[in-house]
Amino acid sequence: MPRVRVISRNFMEMVAGLPPAKLDLLYKRHWTCQAVLRSLPPLAKLYVMRLLYVEEAVPSKSLQDWALPDAQQKHQVAINRMEKLRVILVERKKEVCYRMNPVMQKQLLQALSISKGPPRDVMPGNVAVRLPTPAELDTYAMKQWESVLLQLVSSASSEAPIVSPNFFVIDMFKLAGLLLSLKPNSAPSITDTGFQFLLMDTNSQLWQLVQVYVSAAEDRGTDSGELIGFLLELGFHTVGEAYSVGALTTPLQKVLEELAALGLVQLQKGMKEQWYIPTRLASNLSASLSESSDMQSSEVLGTQGCIVVETNFRVYAYTASKLQTEILRRFARLEYQLPNLVVGALTKESINTAFSSGISAEQIITYLSKHAHPHVAKRMPVVPETVSDQIRLWESDRNRVELLSAYFYDDFPSTEVYETVLNHARSIGGLLWEDASNRRLVVREELHGDMRLFIRRQSGAAGQRG
Amino acid sequence: MSSAMSAPRSDDVSAVVILLDVNPYFWGTKTSTGFTFEQFFQHVLVFINCILLLSHLNQVTVIAMGASACTFLYDSAAIDGTASGRSKQEKRPESRSTTITQKLQEFVKKDEAAETNLGPVENQFSNLSGSLSMALCYIQRILRKPTAPPQPRILCVQGFPDAPQQYIAVMNSIFSAQRCSVPIDACIVGSQHSAFLQQASHITGGIYMKPPQPEGLFQYLTMVFATDLYSRQFLQLPRSAGVDFRASCFCHKRTIDMGFVCSVCLSIFCKHHKACSTCGANFNVKKGGQKRKHPSS
Repeated sequence: MPRVRVISRNFMEMVAGLPPAKLDLLYKRHWTCQAVLRSLPPLAKLYVMRLLYVEEAVPSKSLQDWALPDAQQKHQVAINRMEKLRVILVERKKEVCYRMNPVMQKQLLQALSISKGPPRDVMPGNVAVRLPTPAELDTYAMKQWESVLLQLVSSASSEAPIVSPNFFVIDMFKLAGLLLSLKPNSAPSITDTGFQFLLMDTNSQLWQLVQVYVSAAEDRGTDSGELIGFLLELGFHTVGEAYSVGALTTPLQKVLEELAALGLVQLQKGMKEQWYIPTRLASNLSASLSESSDMQSSEVLGTQGCIVVETNFRVYAYTASKLQTEILRRFARLEYQLPNLVVGALTKESINTAFSSGISAEQIITYLSKHAHPHVAKRMPVVPETVSDQIRLWESDRNRVELLSAYFYDDFPSTEVYETVLNHARSIGGLLWEDASNRRLVVREELHGDMRLFIRRQSGAAGQRG
Repeated sequence: MSSAMSAPRSDDVSAVVILLDVNPYFWGTKTSTGFTFEQFFQHVLVFINCILLLSHLNQVTVIAMGASACTFLYDSAAIDGTASGRSKQEKRPESRSTTITQKLQEFVKKDEAAETNLGPVENQFSNLSGSLSMALCYIQRILRKPTAPPQPRILCVQGFPDAPQQYIAVMNSIFSAQRCSVPIDACIVGSQHSAFLQQASHITGGIYMKPPQPEGLFQYLTMVFATDLYSRQFLQLPRSAGVDFRASCFCHKRTIDMGFVCSVCLSIFCKHHKACSTCGANFNVKKGGQKRKHPSS
């Protein structure tokens, strides 16, 4: 997903934006070093490997020689990226030299050669707590994430809320501009971006929220460096393994509860201690950090698609999920709802409501094909062409009429005056409409001043109306 | 010759199959450089860590080639795949090296036993063909996975000189590697160049290198052989100075400059034969009499 890449790259930019002291602090933990390394472009990764055992500064000339002459652009991108993240430090002596950030160098060398334990304390085997199976953990993560999205959806529907509101999640949505409270105390309503958000894939959604979360961290009393460090580290935790909450600092413990609300970790109470278990959502989050992994499955939780679209515009969704139903409701008219099946139809009205809330035809079609039922998914194209074409046509229908503010001129004293004005309007490119028989014309609003001057010069007797 | 690197690569996720020469005949008789097996093995272990560090999707598989057999020492994908409680610990670098070392010890013992049964003399070669075929079979399995597979490549770290009797098998492996676009990289730690691997990397578009100082093996590995297929388009990498294209004859497995070629199946012989031993074509057509002359005489 290019989208995921853009968003996750933004995240790394945010990391790069941290003050140098904080970055160096971040690099004190070798897990963050590894995560940052993996997020670099392919060339930069190899450069790090090459520089890893070099303790002196290397002239930028020699670095340049590594790349082929026609790949200098890629080379520069890699170097810039490394510089920004302080992976390499610039030294200006006689010429520009680079050397690896010694803090990071040390950590990476250790990670390579000396064995390090898991990032955090794993639950020892003798603690008698039943760990969830991978399947259970997936279901849990999916349920959490669905309920997060339901918060967004339920605020859109005027009916009674489907889930009890979680204020943390709602705050995040508000910060991300997905929800908007019109009045201070009224229930927030979903924005256009919010609607579009619903149709994105899970990883992009997650990234967007995490980004908001990190940028808001300082206000919430968490050190953003610490938080970023922890998030990067989370990718190195083993999914399904329990880690001790007690080993974390107090602010991070609070963070953990919020991450649990997003479904990134599952919290489990033991006899004495509390444990957290990272889910697949968490590991995929950092997986999409490396730019190269666009091949990674975009649907994080392996949710099976359930939607069948027929050529007669009917949509069948074999699902019991409220979220799916709610999303479908955004652009389809739902006809029946059975325990495991929702039947709807794509109508002009239903699609138009979607358009008016800012969803594009392309988004609807991608959503339908992405969530296609496995039986249909093999078919090409997944969404019948008649349907996808019609949706696009409906979209272009909406764009048929374009509104422009303009001025209307009439009551020209003579045909000659009318003709000259008309020609002038045409020459400045502002003519929108003309009616020669009644001597009337319409000109763009922004050219009114120019037109007025011109007409006044032509004759003092030009009438005009706004 | 069409190289295997024609397909455009857009990402750097790679699956590296490393073939390690653990032949005791090579490591036992010490070379002048004093580069010991322990050092060699440690360099390789850190190199494995490097590859796995670069991307969490990278896979490393290690195959040991001994004097008589070869075996899988390590497969990072297999360990990640099984979600049993014990295996999780093995993701850690420390336990990774212990697993590999243990496996290696087991293998060396088995190899030793098998070798004494076979008689030592004619088996004083590393089993390159066997390990190459194993690597290719394994890569086939990766390529058939439904999810987009990482780009596979083979890295062959060889110490022992080529075994002429493996010529046909090795060449077949090379051509099948070419067919499935798998580059074969070769790093020679021994004293002699390997004609087989020169040809292998030439045909498949891999890198062939014989480090002038084997004790700096790790540096060569990270500088050259850690480069993924995507980045190879942009980086300066060592080019082979020349390739030894000489073939081995099918009859005595000797490397020859000139010889006889069967007109039907292109088998190579060092001496004139009455009939082709591969396809059975009869060369002794009476009418023509003595048509061919011995090339060397």
